[in-house]
Amino acid sequence: MADKEKNNYVSKDKLGKNFTHKKQIVKNNEVKDNKEMKEKNTSSKDIILSIKNASYRYSDAEENDYALRNVSFDFESGKIYAIRGRSGTGKTTLLSLISGLERCTEGEIIFDGKSLKDRNLDKYRNSDIGIVFQSYNLLPFMTASENIILSMDANGLKLKNKKEKAIELMEKVGLKETYADRKVLRLSGGEQQRVAIARSLSYNPKMIIADEPTGNLDKQTETEILEIFEKLAHEEKKCVIIVTHSQNVCDAVDVIYDLKKVAK
Amino acid sequence: MFILKNAWISIKRNKGRNILIGIIILIIACACTITLAIKNTAVDLIDSYKNAYDKEVTISFDRSNMMKDFDPSQSEGRENAREKFDNIASYTISDVLSFADSEYIESYYYTYGVGLNGNNIEKAEIESNNNMPNGFGHGKENNISSTDFTLTGYSSLDAMSEFINGTYTMNEITENAWDIAFDGNYVFINQELADYNNLNLNDKIVLEDEEGNTYEFEIIGIFKENEEGNGEPMSMFSNSANTLVTNASAVTSITTSNEDLQATINPTFIIDSYDNVEKLQDEFYEKGLDENFVLQTNEEIALSGVSSIENINSFATTFLVITLIIGGIVLFVINMINIRERKYEIGVLRTIGISKVKLTMQFVSELVIVSVVALVLGAGIGAVSSKGVSNSLLESEINSSNERTEEIGKNFGGPNGNEGMPDRGNRDEMRGKGMPVVQAYDSIDAVVDMKVLLELLGIGLSLVLVSSIASMVSIQRFSPLTILKERS
Repeated sequence: MADKEKNNYVSKDKLGKNFTHKKQIVKNNEVKDNKEMKEKNTSSKDIILSIKNASYRYSDAEENDYALRNVSFDFESGKIYAIRGRSGTGKTTLLSLISGLERCTEGEIIFDGKSLKDRNLDKYRNSDIGIVFQSYNLLPFMTASENIILSMDANGLKLKNKKEKAIELMEKVGLKETYADRKVLRLSGGEQQRVAIARSLSYNPKMIIADEPTGNLDKQTETEILEIFEKLAHEEKKCVIIVTHSQNVCDAVDVIYDLKKVAK
Repeated sequence: MFILKNAWISIKRNKGRNILIGIIILIIACACTITLAIKNTAVDLIDSYKNAYDKEVTISFDRSNMMKDFDPSQSEGRENAREKFDNIASYTISDVLSFADSEYIESYYYTYGVGLNGNNIEKAEIESNNNMPNGFGHGKENNISSTDFTLTGYSSLDAMSEFINGTYTMNEITENAWDIAFDGNYVFINQELADYNNLNLNDKIVLEDEEGNTYEFEIIGIFKENEEGNGEPMSMFSNSANTLVTNASAVTSITTSNEDLQATINPTFIIDSYDNVEKLQDEFYEKGLDENFVLQTNEEIALSGVSSIENINSFATTFLVITLIIGGIVLFVINMINIRERKYEIGVLRTIGISKVKLTMQFVSELVIVSVVALVLGAGIGAVSSKGVSNSLLESEINSSNERTEEIGKNFGGPNGNEGMPDRGNRDEMRGKGMPVVQAYDSIDAVVDMKVLLELLGIGLSLVLVSSIASMVSIQRFSPLTILKERS
């Protein structure tokens, strides 16, 4: 247990640190800007996810009514990214594209060198990426550990003692073992979000995508959750993408991508 | 494996809803088991009835064809009809043997009739009585009504339809009558003729033809006719008072010795299937049967006894269909509601990467697990309940066939039903007249058999699949992110 405590990302003496970075802010105002950004970003060697001129139009929308148009961003391993923008700029749409819940209408998204067009998106979601939502999206009739084990099952993970692994992950995000058998509805918002993060880590994905992960949490808890993400990025070299309009979150990330409303 | 695990967790979690689904499926299974059991029993009974009646074909005169050009208002028309009538070629015993040589015919029997006068006996009649001649096609007495007696020869027990259907009942019979009845010059005579001539068993009677040739017969049985009168208002005697019953070979030997004698033959052919009647008729025409004759079957008669069972069968089918439609709709609606309630769960599971196929399998598995339990319970309850209903249905049929067996036995001269059945003719041959084939269903415990269970399983799985369509379609349509956003 002592060893596990050492690995715990929410050790109090580290809270508040590593939040001072030189930020890179990229905007997707125009295609021209995107090209410049692309040239700049392709110099990096650790690009895990690359969005190339991605556009998305809902099936029932008119021909030029795009929810997202010509977006090109790159994401590197070991960094935390924030995607921000006002309502209607396509944050949720972009999230659904990079999390494999939808496919691009135009352009493409390349993960780990392979286009999502060529991948089984279910497999992509249960192996390569972990998704964390603002409202946690845990199954309320299950215990904390059962929610995590369910994700392992979806991945097809072969482990003798999945519960032990679930408890290990819970401790990693700052939850005690005693929480394992509690129904998630008996946990606080912050605790539920930690369970959601533990679930997203259950099969050790290369990328974590979080949609307003601290939107329902108080400031203290938000700070603790952000520190977990920061550790995951900087120490475990995962790519963490957070969709947000929280300034606190933007302050904590390495790169901010700004989305602007698509011109009709 | 985790699909089944999740399905089981969901079943336990939604106890109320799953118990409701289980009860509905249990009721459907119970109703289906009872209905299927009744239906299968009814079908078996109908089949046994059909099998109990041999598929018989007889040759009959096609009156409608004969009369179609007949105009009674014109004397010319009457002449033409008479000429046409006279030109109809009758068929002989050799024709019958030729007809019988067909791939569609399993066996045959016939009655062979010839008219003779009495030598040492007198015709039973009151002289003042006006004995009307029989018309064309009136059974066996055709063309022989001018003689005193009709000697009717039967080729086998099966041919003795008057005894089988109860028109004739044996009053007295010699001990060995059925051993010798088909071998020589032996006759059964009507009780009225016996009384009229003071004849007894083992007496000898002598008949003669118009040329004076005589034929001696020994009386081995005396029968009575159960139909009162011969259709003539003033007649004292029954229709068969002057009918002498013998075997076909005896009649054949008479007609062989005197070729001028007019004889009538009424064959009955046992065929393999009613479907082949038209082919058989064409074959008969090719073999020389006059086209004014047609073949008639006993299909209608064979099925007349099962009309009530047919009705039960139809009712059971209708009840089954209605049960399944209502049950299917109720299950479908419950599943629709179930899916709507579980949209969030579907969204979460899809988001964490569980494929649509696996998710559908999980939902279907839940329904299958509940259904199997309910089907087993429903089949058990249905089996117990259906036993009483089906058995009472079956028992009444067994009782009626038993009564009929006894009755036929008595008709053939036995004092106690079956004991009267002739050994020589073997009972299997008698089966064709409504004999106790139905009694094979004495083992009435096997109402809900493997067939019913398999049908029930098929129905159950079909219902599960139909009612699962809601979940299958919904899972395909739902966008996980939209669901989760709605929830947020």
